[in-house]
Amino acid sequence: MSLEVPDTTETDEVPERTPDELAALLGDLVIDRDDHLNAPGFVIRPDAVQETLSRLKQEAGYDHLSLVTAQEYENRYESIYHLKKFDDPTQEVSVVVPADKDRPVSESGEAVFRTADWHEREAYDLIGIEYDDHPDLRRILLPETWQGHPLSMDYDKDRPQIATLPEHANPLADHHRDAESDTMFLNIGPHHPATHGVLHLKTILDGEQVIDVEPDIGYLHRCEEQMAQSGTYRHQIMPYPDRWDYISAGLLNEWAYARAAEDLADIDVPEYAQVIRTMGAEMCRIAAHMLALATFALDVNGDFTATFMYAINDRERVQDLLEDLTGQRLMFNYFRLGGVVWDLPEPREEFFSKTRDFLDQLPGSVEEYHDLVTANEIFQMRTIDTGILPPAVAKDYGATGPVARGSGIDYDLRRDDPYGYYDELDWDVVTEDGCDNYSRLLVRMREVEESAKIIEQCVDLLEDWPEDERTIQANVPRTLRPDDDTEIYRAVEAAKGELGIYMRADGTDKPARFKIRSPCFSNLQTLPEMANGEYIPDVIAALGSLDIVLGEVDR
Amino acid sequence: MGTVQLFPEFVSETLGLSGVLGDVVGSLVAAAVVGNIVLAFTGVAGPWAKRKITAAFTDRIAVDRIGPFGLLIIPAAAVQLLAKELIVPEGVDRPTWDLAPLVLPASALLGFSVIPMGRLGPVNLQIADPEVGLALVFAFASIASISLVMAGYASNNKYSMLGGLRAVAQNLAYEIPLIVTAMSVVIFAGTLQTSGIVAAQSDVLFSVGGFDVPTWYAFVNPFAFVLFLTANMAEIGRNPFDIPEAPTEIVAGYQTEYSSAYFVLFYLGEFVHIFLGGAILAVTFLGGASGPGPESIGFIWFVVKLWGFFLFTQWARSALPRVRIDQLIEIGWKGMLVLSFANLVLTAVIVGVIA
Repeated sequence: MSLEVPDTTETDEVPERTPDELAALLGDLVIDRDDHLNAPGFVIRPDAVQETLSRLKQEAGYDHLSLVTAQEYENRYESIYHLKKFDDPTQEVSVVVPADKDRPVSESGEAVFRTADWHEREAYDLIGIEYDDHPDLRRILLPETWQGHPLSMDYDKDRPQIATLPEHANPLADHHRDAESDTMFLNIGPHHPATHGVLHLKTILDGEQVIDVEPDIGYLHRCEEQMAQSGTYRHQIMPYPDRWDYISAGLLNEWAYARAAEDLADIDVPEYAQVIRTMGAEMCRIAAHMLALATFALDVNGDFTATFMYAINDRERVQDLLEDLTGQRLMFNYFRLGGVVWDLPEPREEFFSKTRDFLDQLPGSVEEYHDLVTANEIFQMRTIDTGILPPAVAKDYGATGPVARGSGIDYDLRRDDPYGYYDELDWDVVTEDGCDNYSRLLVRMREVEESAKIIEQCVDLLEDWPEDERTIQANVPRTLRPDDDTEIYRAVEAAKGELGIYMRADGTDKPARFKIRSPCFSNLQTLPEMANGEYIPDVIAALGSLDIVLGEVDR
Repeated sequence: MGTVQLFPEFVSETLGLSGVLGDVVGSLVAAAVVGNIVLAFTGVAGPWAKRKITAAFTDRIAVDRIGPFGLLIIPAAAVQLLAKELIVPEGVDRPTWDLAPLVLPASALLGFSVIPMGRLGPVNLQIADPEVGLALVFAFASIASISLVMAGYASNNKYSMLGGLRAVAQNLAYEIPLIVTAMSVVIFAGTLQTSGIVAAQSDVLFSVGGFDVPTWYAFVNPFAFVLFLTANMAEIGRNPFDIPEAPTEIVAGYQTEYSSAYFVLFYLGEFVHIFLGGAILAVTFLGGASGPGPESIGFIWFVVKLWGFFLFTQWARSALPRVRIDQLIEIGWKGMLVLSFANLVLTAVIVGVIA
């Protein structure tokens, strides 16, 4: 397989290298080719990861390490570094790093891309590959006392995990008590009003100022990847994505799986279904951003703020529309490979008018939020110039979505790597240059308006759609068995950023490897960059502005 | 001012007692009545009014299941809160930890002893009227910070500690502007006696269409009123200055480790402090118990002003973001302090030159 030929006008600016040019660039670092459906793949020497990544980043412009996938084969281990360009995400390349079956070690890419830190820790945790030169290689999702690596082949799942409480690291252990210094160690979470789920921040304070903060995740880990690997492509995987980012962003998540699986199995989606998908996805985005606004107000204003209830009210209206559309309020399970499960609810007129009512009142609501929240001087005092995330740092950490766009990075997969019906519609990508908590909030609020524009155009299209052309699903075989040894990595723009799925087919009806690229996982990694040196309230605000969902971070 | 009969004197006279016995019995009865009035306000405010008011601001309904308008939630909540287990964490510093929840409501209730709450029929609801009344009430109210520090320090919890430290920093930063602004009122009134300050606000400032606008200091010096109101919000720790407990930042600050009856005492203390803040505001700027109608219903006006202030605090809580600790200190020391002294000097000059 070769690179897709980009056909959009924006991509002209970014010079694209052919696979052969890339091979020439990498020279003798490459030992083999292992192309994926989405990108050329180069198998490189396990001790040349940094050299390879840095050449691709510096000289070929692949500045976005989207995901690190690790997996085990019968005869080897393998880490795949999925690289993209922030300027043109359709230009992709996969760096495949094999590792020895008996002693799986390869070089860490952390020195080139900071985001590799957490991704490689996860690979170590779940698969068991060790990364040389990694600054802090320890488990990330599972407890530090865990025995074995659950996604490796020889993992014995029946072996009881016996770890007594004293074996766990004590956060109050002596090494935090430094007689010389004035610092104080503070556990924020896992049970704390502002951690948006079960997140644990190990914080070191000097008075009220934060010297260091380290997120400790994994409390909500459910091994979603393993669950997807034991489900069939056609029917059994689709319900799971709803449970990653469960803040009503379900359809956006479902689309990530649908897009990857449809490209893997070469399924075309009827245009009518694409319009419905686009409309539903943008409704989910509004619901998710409303909740982000609501909880951010909770973090900054205090827990009896009117903004919270107002935003929840608006979210409720979208939620009603989604309920009409999908029959569900949270776990939609509405997409099918090749389309959606059913057509718009009857009577269609009622659904359309309800949707239009919502769209009509939305500008008023947004105006009210601007009056109540963003125009408030105390709010501006609290959020402007706090939680600074410079664009270069954001890219280094693989931050995407509103977090990246709040730092002025003009990156949105809906436009840059078009799918669904987005490229047929008239809307804009929102960016703000402030790089602070305020900008990230503003991006979300403006994106709500853009989403409303998209929904309105979809409703217009759907209203006039001829009755005999309303095909909601393509003809898809009951059982899908993609070709053996085909691999694909595909991403969509979910509410929090780039949500990607990597799948490897082995000729059966279930994926041999299913890897989720969670935007929250990468975004949360930037927290120490924003928080160090700030006050506790700013850390809380920065965390709120990242808008993480722990269900997606931990999967 | 000796013409007005105070509440304890009224009681002893009605009972026909005199001398020391009359003083003691009269004071006890009067204190019990005033204390219970304030506690009753708190009882209504805490479990019911606060919920209803916040709900009205945030598009909700709140308690409406038990009794008319959900009013029976008050006894239900009382039973529920007191029936909870009192959890004493390991390593707390007793008896400091036990005393802190008593000091907070006590300090606020003491403050009410010198507040002229106005007349209800023949009764003048004021327990004592010393020469230094206003200074005394500030002194009583300030004891509250000691309670918060005690709780923060004794709880053996880092969040409590942070909350206690924040409380001290906040009180230091705002007590001074508060008192300096109150002094400008004293310059106007020429007395520290609370009844005297109220009496000085009973003249007519000007008349609009037959309606007399009184010389309440809120009308005479609106600038000082706004300053005082802001400092007062910080003093009682309400939004946007609720940082000693700031739930989304430091869990619940100094009261993190308190449960059951101790928690109730803290909660109670906070509410009594809100009402005391309202009472001080009413006395110094809103003409105390004065209002339209005969003097004998003054108490009703006083209650209206107290609840008006309470409503204001809840409104602020629903609408305003919370400032950060360093911003709070900055506003206090660099802003409020300067403004309050400017106000004081200006007032002194105006009063000295004109009056």
